[in-house]
Order: sequence, then structure tokens, then C-alpha cells
Amino acid sequence: MSEMTQNSTFSDGLLAGFPIVLGYFPIAFAFGVAATGQGLNGWEAFGLSLIVYAGAAQFLALALITSGAPVLIAAFTLVAMNLRHVLYGPALLKRAGAAISRRYAWAWAFGLTDEVFGAALGQLARGRRFSEPFMFGLGLAAYASWLSGTALGAYAGGGALQGWPVLEAALGFMLPALFLALLLSILSRAQVPVIAVAAVATVLVSLLVSGTAGILAGMIAGAAAGLLGLGGRDAG
Amino acid sequence: MRADILTLALIVGLFTWAFRFFPTRADISRLPQGGALSRFLAATGPAAIATLFTASVVPFVEGGLPLPLAFGTVAVLAVYTASRSVVGATMAGSVGYGSGVWLLGTV
Repeated sequence: MSEMTQNSTFSDGLLAGFPIVLGYFPIAFAFGVAATGQGLNGWEAFGLSLIVYAGAAQFLALALITSGAPVLIAAFTLVAMNLRHVLYGPALLKRAGAAISRRYAWAWAFGLTDEVFGAALGQLARGRRFSEPFMFGLGLAAYASWLSGTALGAYAGGGALQGWPVLEAALGFMLPALFLALLLSILSRAQVPVIAVAAVATVLVSLLVSGTAGILAGMIAGAAAGLLGLGGRDAG
Repeated sequence: MRADILTLALIVGLFTWAFRFFPTRADISRLPQGGALSRFLAATGPAAIATLFTASVVPFVEGGLPLPLAFGTVAVLAVYTASRSVVGATMAGSVGYGSGVWLLGTV
């Protein structure tokens, strides 16, 4: 881990967002293809990405819409799925330290997705100084990739990848690969117990209850392990 | 855009933005170093990313493709160890997984 402080301009944020751009584009493309394949028009697919901007929730939204679930029930199922995001802001600011500006957090926090949070945390762990322009650059790169991928996927239409099964499989692994790379970028020996607890809780609850419950359980169990001191005295 | 889909998007979008923004207003600068909440927040990042990785891998295991999964995972680990590049490791993982699927003819 580098202890040297690096610049944190808007451009630095755009550059730091490059891995997310690579990861998001194919997944958003797959979302656009899936949405149009399940009867949404291109504007509806794009609108979900533009307004909701939460990948897993958007895929679940497709399933709920096509199953005919009532709007309010579908909405609050998806809201519950995104509840994990309440942890990201404080965890990121804790790592960033005191005396940082949060004046425009109302804007850059819109883009604080799982991957943007992970990338920002990884950058801070490697010596990057927190700044709001950096967060705007990082978030904009990711958002632009997500929107353009959705638009292209919706334009290509349902079944666009049916003739390319190996490519479809490779693109489908982009997100797990990105999460693993982000995990490696923030990994420290002290936090291995936290990571192990989170992983075990996620698997058990996913298999016994549901994937959404597994995500919430994994995050809470891992953070609770840190609270109990398994992540070192102050592992941040 | 149909009204029900727009309504769904607006409700979920508004709540998701609120979940991402309002916690950033909390004043955490006076948390004691090594205190309970400080430890909780410090562990949240690694726990969240570990959880998301695990959750994203579970469908691949359930889908019965463990060898391509191993190819992809080893590729990420190898390239990250060699280069410390998140971009390179992500791309290598995708190529590794796709190569495993192609080699084993599992699709």
C-alpha cells in the first residue's frame, strides 16, 4: 500500500473510473438486451438505468415487472434491496478523514454505487486524497458507461448475444471479476476475518433465504465482526 | 414510458439516492479512534465488497460451471498479483472465464 498522497482532480477521478467503465458497459449492455427481450421498449430500459442506477435492482425490476407484481410491492422490494447503500457514505468518509468538504455530496452521492464505493475506497487505501471533484469524475465515468451500455443493449434488442454464448459467458463474469479485483485492492491481513465472516454469512443466507437477504446479512455480519474487534483495532 | 414503470423507477431512484446521500451528512469526525462505531465503519467497506463478490459468484457455482469459475478467479488473482491493476485483473478474469467455458464446451 502506498502512503504517498496522490492528486485528486476531476480527471483523476475519470481515470480511476476506467475499471468500472470496463465492468459496467457489458453488464449494462446485457441489461438493455434483457429489458427489451422481456417486453420493455428502449426508453423504458434507458429510463430505469437513468433514474434507478443500481444494477442488481434493475435486473430484479425486470423480473418483477414481467411477473405482474403490483408497483408499490415491486418498488419497496427493490428499495429494501438497496438499503445496504446507507453504509457506504459514512464508511467512505471515515476512511477519507476529518476536514473534508461534503458540500456537493447531494450530487456525487447519487453515483455512489457498489463499484464506485469500492473503487473510491481502494484509491483512498492506496494514498489518494479524498476530494469532491475526484468523486464527480469517478461517478461520471461509471454513470456514462452504465447509460451508454444500456442504450446500446436496448438498441441491439433482445437475443442479441444468443449467437455468441462464449462472449455472453465472459461478459457475465465481468462483475465478479471486478469485485474480486476491488477486494484485492483494499485487502489487508487484519481484515481477513471480517471478509471471511461476510462471505460465509452471504453464502448461508443466500442459500437458506434469498440472494437479497444474503447481501444484507453478509454486510451486517462482516461489519459486526469488525465491531467485535476481528478486523483489528481500527482497520480502516 | 409506461406510467407504472416510471412510477417504479421514481420511487426506487428516490429512495436509493436518499440511502446514498443522507448518511454522508452524519458527523463522524469526532469518533474516537478504535471506538466501537469507528471499528464498525472501518469493517463495512471490506465486508461490503466481500459480500458483493460472494453474492455475484454464487449463481456461477449453482449453474454448475466450477472450472470456468476457477479459471476466471485464478486469472484475476494472477494478474492483480503481477500488476496491481484493477483494470487488467478484471479483463483477465473475464477472458479466463470465457476461455474456460470455450475450452470445456460447457455452453
